[in-house]
Amino acid sequence: MDSLKLEIVTPQGLIFQGEVKSVTFPGEEGEFGVLPRHASLLALLKPGVIEIEKIDGNKESIVINWGHVKVGEQGATALVDGAIPLEGASESEIAKKIEEAKELIEKASENKAALAAVEARIEKAAKII
Amino acid sequence: MANLKEIKRKIGSVKNTQKTTRAMKLVSTAKLRRTEELAKRSRSYEEAINQTMSEIASSIRKYKVGGIQGRYFEESELPAVVDIIFITADKGLCGGFNFQTIKTVRNLIADYEKRGSKVRLKAIGKKGIEFFRFQGYPLESAVVGLSSSPDYKRAAQFIETTVQEFLEGESDKVVLVHNGYKNMITQEMKQIDLLPIDITAFKDVEVTSMMELEPDEGEKVLESLINKYIEFNMYYALIDSLAAEHSARMQAMDAATKNAKEMVEKLTISYNKARQESITTELIEIISGMEAMK
Repeated sequence: MDSLKLEIVTPQGLIFQGEVKSVTFPGEEGEFGVLPRHASLLALLKPGVIEIEKIDGNKESIVINWGHVKVGEQGATALVDGAIPLEGASESEIAKKIEEAKELIEKASENKAALAAVEARIEKAAKII
Repeated sequence: MANLKEIKRKIGSVKNTQKTTRAMKLVSTAKLRRTEELAKRSRSYEEAINQTMSEIASSIRKYKVGGIQGRYFEESELPAVVDIIFITADKGLCGGFNFQTIKTVRNLIADYEKRGSKVRLKAIGKKGIEFFRFQGYPLESAVVGLSSSPDYKRAAQFIETTVQEFLEGESDKVVLVHNGYKNMITQEMKQIDLLPIDITAFKDVEVTSMMELEPDEGEKVLESLINKYIEFNMYYALIDSLAAEHSARMQAMDAATKNAKEMVEKLTISYNKARQESITTELIEIISGMEAMK
């Protein structure tokens, strides 16, 4: 089974690190997916959701506000300003994370339409969990 | 007799000071641990961004793709205007911590001025600001409160204006001076040339394929990445400086506590001596009085 190494870091610390099956980034010019052995790429990211498909098939979503991603043959490294993983042990915890994520997005973007789209994505991602 | 009372009062005051210094040491130790943790977490970002920058620098070198032009990478032989950013603490009582930075900055100023460059100072931290204001140096900007609680947003805002001025040609070089944390007992002066970026400093990384950029205008991607890199360097310097400050204060307070202890011991000895002396005098008085009565 092919996998790629994914690393998501913020100035405040490491958010995610591990081998994943695939990952989708919210690129400045549209969303794009990355599979193992992707060509080298450096892309700007806009506020949105990074969707990760782990080796075991489980999905994880991380909300980000802004950043870069560098994709190489060995893996992908995302350097982001702020990130909130949508996960938690209980429903109330997840609800809190969603609130935080929305706040993060609101601060990062002034475009109302884009904001609404991202919020919808967050809700959707949260439902999957 | 008055002497006895005085010594006793002195002992009391030294003991009180000792209590304060000991408490300050404990506080610094705890804060140092927290700052160290913060620095450790930032280090993974540092590694990632350095790695990315090296890869870009390597591919620029290998494929000679554009983006290398522009002020970010242009090293001028003799900078006409140099911006010196320096970080000191907001509080004192940390040994030579603040003064070391100030001394380095003064040497730098003298050095650049001798070579004919104009120096502009940008200060972070109350102690440095106070010193240079008192000396009559003009400060281009002064920020208080950032060095005691590093905040990424504020650090980014601070450096943004500097970068903007650099890009507009108001300054030709940006140097960052701060005291860095080495380990629990040593600090070291760090002097970083923030701008222009020296791409030869990045180590060569094996690049196997041409890197694609998205959005297509490579300049935009590169520019925002460079901005990020500089912002992060600024933020990291603040954390590093804070850790160094706490370790310096810890040491200074430890030494102060020790000195206070020694002083109490000395004072106690002289107190005992004085007490004995007064007893002896009293005894002599009594005895000689009795002798006279005979």
